[in-house]
Amino acid sequence: MILLAIAAALPGVFWDAPPDTAAALREAGIRRIVVPAEQVAAWKQVEGIAVAAGDPRQAVKVRTPAVNYRFDQASASRVPWIDSNGWRFLRQPDGRFFYDSGGAAAALAAAEAFAWGANAMVKTDAAGLKPLGDMLAFAAGIESAAMQPVVDFGFVDDGSATAGEVMNLLVRHTLLFRVVKAPDPKLKLTVQLGSRKYPLEAAKNPGAMAQMVRADLTDERRSLRIYGSAVVVGRVESAPGRVRVHLVNYDGGRKVNGLRVRVAGRYANYRLAAAGNPDLALMDYDAQPDATEFTLPELKTYAVIDLLK
Amino acid sequence: MRPHAPALICRLQAHPARPATPVCPRGSACCKLKPVDRRTFVTLAAAAPLAAAPIDVPAYRVVTPFPKSQNPGMPGPYPGQAVRVHSEKSIDPASGKVDLETVRKMLSTGMRALTGDTRDDDAWARFVSPKDTVGIKVNCSGAPRIRSSPEVVGAIAERVMAVGVPAERIWIYERFMNQLVTVPYRNFVPQAVHIHAAETDRGSVMGYDPKVYVETDFFGEEDTRSNLTRIVSETLTKIINVPNMKEHQASGVTGCLKNIAYGNFSNVARSHRNEKTNTYSFIGTLAAVEPVRSRVVLAVMDGLAGVWHAGPFSNNPRFRFYPKELMIGTDPVAMDRQLIDIIEAKRKAEGAISIFNQSREILGDNRDPNKNAYIREPGHVEYASKLGLGVYDQAKIQVKRIEL
Repeated sequence: MILLAIAAALPGVFWDAPPDTAAALREAGIRRIVVPAEQVAAWKQVEGIAVAAGDPRQAVKVRTPAVNYRFDQASASRVPWIDSNGWRFLRQPDGRFFYDSGGAAAALAAAEAFAWGANAMVKTDAAGLKPLGDMLAFAAGIESAAMQPVVDFGFVDDGSATAGEVMNLLVRHTLLFRVVKAPDPKLKLTVQLGSRKYPLEAAKNPGAMAQMVRADLTDERRSLRIYGSAVVVGRVESAPGRVRVHLVNYDGGRKVNGLRVRVAGRYANYRLAAAGNPDLALMDYDAQPDATEFTLPELKTYAVIDLLK
Repeated sequence: MRPHAPALICRLQAHPARPATPVCPRGSACCKLKPVDRRTFVTLAAAAPLAAAPIDVPAYRVVTPFPKSQNPGMPGPYPGQAVRVHSEKSIDPASGKVDLETVRKMLSTGMRALTGDTRDDDAWARFVSPKDTVGIKVNCSGAPRIRSSPEVVGAIAERVMAVGVPAERIWIYERFMNQLVTVPYRNFVPQAVHIHAAETDRGSVMGYDPKVYVETDFFGEEDTRSNLTRIVSETLTKIINVPNMKEHQASGVTGCLKNIAYGNFSNVARSHRNEKTNTYSFIGTLAAVEPVRSRVVLAVMDGLAGVWHAGPFSNNPRFRFYPKELMIGTDPVAMDRQLIDIIEAKRKAEGAISIFNQSREILGDNRDPNKNAYIREPGHVEYASKLGLGVYDQAKIQVKRIEL
């Protein structure tokens, strides 16, 4: 049962090549694939690879996650542009998503989808198979647990492009929210574009709007803070007695040398799983009554930190 | 004190959506046009002077486990004093070659003049002991063209070793390795002396202490912390500050205070955006953080060469000059106050505007010495004096000038 749950959470590998490419999949450690319906029968003849049917045309195509430094438009070292799909997953929690990501970016795509619990397929090329297979193996090793997203505020999503871009900026600033239909008194804040507090006119600058939300929430009340990198986005889930922090480095091609992370709440113990870094340990771990802080010495593409009471 | 111009600051940040009202990110420092929120100052050791601070000083939260010292290194035992030693022989401007023997004499003369001692060892023993681990904080931000001269640093290391500090407990350090490696310090110190950078990989937080930092939000940046280098909090017991004599595009001048502040903390470039810079209050705030304030016990300002415009870099040789002097003291404010006059005098001689000119008309391509990328904040020196770091009033500063 647990294995099934894990498998359901893992992104699928969309593969439309014929069965004679099975060796490449095996070499990459990929044992489950999604293929066009018309190829299912042929692939079922292949031993050791589980097959399901999938149709990218029925899925929401999403961008390959990346960092776009835009040297000519922005400060490269301070606020690079991040192509993240987190907001799309939050907008359509029941959606089916499709990445077409060649090379090592396939691993980043899988990490992003897994971090957000998105139902996603990742199509890649020959160069992407091994990184993708490694990332899926890493994700499969993460302990499956029933967890709820940790959110600091609600966002009333009207489905508009403007709202989408504001959500995008909120995600990129690791401002944790969930989509709500109406203000939820249990949340610290509800953001509704078009309200007096968050006028639509102001939302035309989504970055400034995200900063307004941040200021209203206040940094002190945020459940997650990340210091030391502008290319890492985080997400937090919780279960009784524990939280799980997902950290995704959108510049997957270049590791981040050190991140300081602050998570609300006191957690005495931790478990770290860092993709491509099995022996990594957290540094300067400090559990205070109101928050727990730690340093992740290195982040290649993806890390999952379970904090335990 | 120069009045700040809140309206100007917010106009710089405005966007078309709200032309009538400031739209800086809510809560960011640029829009905190109100008295400082004292709840965020609970751990700021030098909070008292801030009652009179300009109203747009950001809310700084200083976090450090180090207690305030009763005898901080800054302003140290010689407040309101500076010794300036000049020698024509110290450097050949044409070749840039430094005369090491002359530098040794300048250092010796200056130290004895500062302390009143007749022997070098006695003078140096006032600041370091054989038990210390000594850092020499160099400035390589304009390296290789302008930097703390390896000859000056080597001469300092010699005197520290003469007091009995072993070479392996001397650390020449800077923030960025890519700048540090361009200067041949190794040629002037024993092999055992450490040459260390906080960031061997630019942008890495690993060389910084997560427990010592100043937190503030200047412009809505996500990373709101500036952390102290680990070597200062974990290794060094004494620090000798070796800045240059330079104009600085953002802070007006970069001398003792800026070298020990921005040169010891991470993530400080965030304090500038467009033409606005928060160096006015950030430099002094960082310099006052313990243990920095306690461990910086001496400053030797290397003025063999300097920069009078477009600093801290020295890409254009036209803006380089040669004061041919060392300035020595323990009061960073008093020394930087002299630096202001040195830079102003040179700029005046060159027909350039004052670094105190804060009109928007000066903004532009700084290949023109009357243009600049930022509204400069030389008032940071006076601000630091209000944090107790030294004496700003020139009438109360005693300057000893020595010609060799």
